[in-house]
Amino acid sequence: MSVGTSAAPAKSESASPSDSGLAVLTNAVEQLIVAGKLPVPLLPQVATQLLQATNDESTDAGRVAALIHRDPALAGQVLRIANSPSYQPRMPIVSLQQAVARLGLSVMREIAVSASFQNGVFKVPGFEKELAWMWRHALGTAAFAKEVARLRRLNVENAFLCGLLHRVGEPVLLQVAVNDAKRSGLVAASPALRGAILDLAARLAGRAGESIGTAWKLPPPVLAAMVHHAAPEAAGPHVQEAALTSVAAALARHTLDESAAAEPPPLDHPGFALLNLYPNEAMGLLARADSVRRLVESLTG
Amino acid sequence: MAAPERFDVIVIGSGPAGQKAAIQAVKAGRRVALVERESGVGGECVRRGTIPSKTLRESAAAIARLRRGADIFDAKVGAGTELTRLLTRLDRVVNAHVSYMTDQMERNGVAVMKGRARFASPHVIEVEDVRGQVRSLVADLIAVATGSRPRTPPEIPVDHEFILDSDSILSLTYLPESLAILGAGVIACEYASIFALLGVQVTLIDKAERPLRFIDAELVERFVGSLTKNGGRFLGGHGIKEVAFDGVSRVTTRLANGETLSTEKVLVALGREAAVDGLNLEAAGLAPNARGIIDVDEHCRTVVPHIYAVGDVMGPPSLASAAMEQGRRAMCHALGLPPGAPAEMIPSGIYTVPEISSVGLSSEEAKRRGIPIIEGRARFDQVARGQISGIDDGLLKLIADARGRKLLGIHIVGDGATELVHVGQMAMFAGADIDVFIENIFNFPTLAEAYRVAALDVTEKRAALPVIQAA
Repeated sequence: MSVGTSAAPAKSESASPSDSGLAVLTNAVEQLIVAGKLPVPLLPQVATQLLQATNDESTDAGRVAALIHRDPALAGQVLRIANSPSYQPRMPIVSLQQAVARLGLSVMREIAVSASFQNGVFKVPGFEKELAWMWRHALGTAAFAKEVARLRRLNVENAFLCGLLHRVGEPVLLQVAVNDAKRSGLVAASPALRGAILDLAARLAGRAGESIGTAWKLPPPVLAAMVHHAAPEAAGPHVQEAALTSVAAALARHTLDESAAAEPPPLDHPGFALLNLYPNEAMGLLARADSVRRLVESLTG
Repeated sequence: MAAPERFDVIVIGSGPAGQKAAIQAVKAGRRVALVERESGVGGECVRRGTIPSKTLRESAAAIARLRRGADIFDAKVGAGTELTRLLTRLDRVVNAHVSYMTDQMERNGVAVMKGRARFASPHVIEVEDVRGQVRSLVADLIAVATGSRPRTPPEIPVDHEFILDSDSILSLTYLPESLAILGAGVIACEYASIFALLGVQVTLIDKAERPLRFIDAELVERFVGSLTKNGGRFLGGHGIKEVAFDGVSRVTTRLANGETLSTEKVLVALGREAAVDGLNLEAAGLAPNARGIIDVDEHCRTVVPHIYAVGDVMGPPSLASAAMEQGRRAMCHALGLPPGAPAEMIPSGIYTVPEISSVGLSSEEAKRRGIPIIEGRARFDQVARGQISGIDDGLLKLIADARGRKLLGIHIVGDGATELVHVGQMAMFAGADIDVFIENIFNFPTLAEAYRVAALDVTEKRAALPVIQAA
């Protein structure tokens, strides 16, 4: 199977294009997107608020802590991650109030959104392995995106979100496609169908991302990166964010996908030219691979 | 590699100095290559320096104007406001500027090459493009105009997320609740006044006892007063011992006296250094001096006679206006063209809120050099326009010779200072007496009337001078 250019943990055969059932399925999913009826998953309230709230004066640490308290699984994740080596707390963080006060809203946003996804916003039975890879790859992309942003003096916090959410359309589409396949009597477990569904999700991820990002009221640069990272030139005023996401995704794949380890590093990725990054600067980014791996491990643990 | 492409002149860097050097050379009929490492011409001035910061300043200045009418308007901006909302016109301004400059280069036949330049020999420049492709250029004459970049002491860990420099400060998404600014030069003071007006708790920290030490102390006092009034503060006489991100959300700045300051962000504005990395100056027989800049003579010529260095790469005054003139004059000298009378009076314009601008002799310099002077002052609230606009922090100072006749310097703080200074600069250039401001008519009501008030102050003081009888 393949999930397009963003890579997959394992290879599988693709669908037969002559399969009329698959064509119907593809058409049905495309129609949902075009009609604006793609079922956008609800994020936990705290994640939604944190995504939207940095400019909302009514959002304070106490309120955020109270919101996280309502979701025990999320609360546990936040505390675990806040105490992980990546966030280097000088003293153990033992309460949510303390975590929010110490970490600040922007870091809490990163952790809560990350933890929310891990806690099962996306559940697609039969595709757990692929979802786990997508999540690891998204985290790696987010980490590389921060490094690219530092190099180009772009906003580092937004870059993290661009990377984290750039392929969020894929699991949503997987869910929709699997449900639709079941309703149509297709056997989702067949290798051909699995491959077709993954291909479909990768191909339409940008368009799905637009629906999701709009519903989640994401900042315009993040939304642009979700929609246009595969073709950054189309991102208008946010071409830099789309290009950095594209470059970061390629670097993350090279770093985290064991099947890609033998391939040459993606130093000829066209996004480097769009970002005006020279070959030695691209090499410098690749040298951050170990720290990116560590961050991914601490967040997926 | 193919044989080098031949040009008469190669200019490295397309900022203000490089542009003017290239245009001067091409207008003199030379074949010119202009090498720029970024994707568009204009240099740091356009992308990360003058133009972006002045665009943000416009938002801050608008708030300052609204606050003067506080009875009517309630102008509040605070932590959490999206910075992009305060920079709405930036893309348009930058694109227009880059487009204008690109057109100018094309129209004049300058060959613009995108890539990083390095000397392969004193006359040969290798240009590596962003894909790693290298081409060689050769020329009789070379101008280095690669500009400068923020200077960061190695002990300060700038991460461009919590500890920022002047290149990354405008990448912030939201206004922080608090900001410590290290340094007290032009960039530090400009950002301090802008962010304070935007509602950020600003602390300006420097080892010097006062900011902007090259500016008249009376003007600086008014600037500090205005900063304080807007909620900022200046901590003078404090060295920085350590700056450390706490690993989560705050930055701690430890001062040499043991005090600590915790802020959401820190801006490091401790000066700029020449951007000469990667130029391989050694291959040209050049080397940066101990201060990291390229030494030049009065014509901006380096020790290698056919290589010139112009703009920030040769050090102060680090003003775009001066850099343009250096580029033009250097090329005139190199090509044997008359450059015109040297510009002895370079005005300095500081885009703080309120603005500060000076040209010519200052009171402190006169004292240091033992030159007797008479000062004339006018506060902006002494002229109708200042009263109408509610400007209570403006001051115009004229420096006259000991007889109170010859105009030696002009120093202004307040709205419009960077424009107003040119009135006095032209009077100085024309060799006019102080009385020119009294004997001529100014529009009413205008801030330029402050010239008349200050000139009258000088004439009153000179009238009180003892009359010296001829022997």
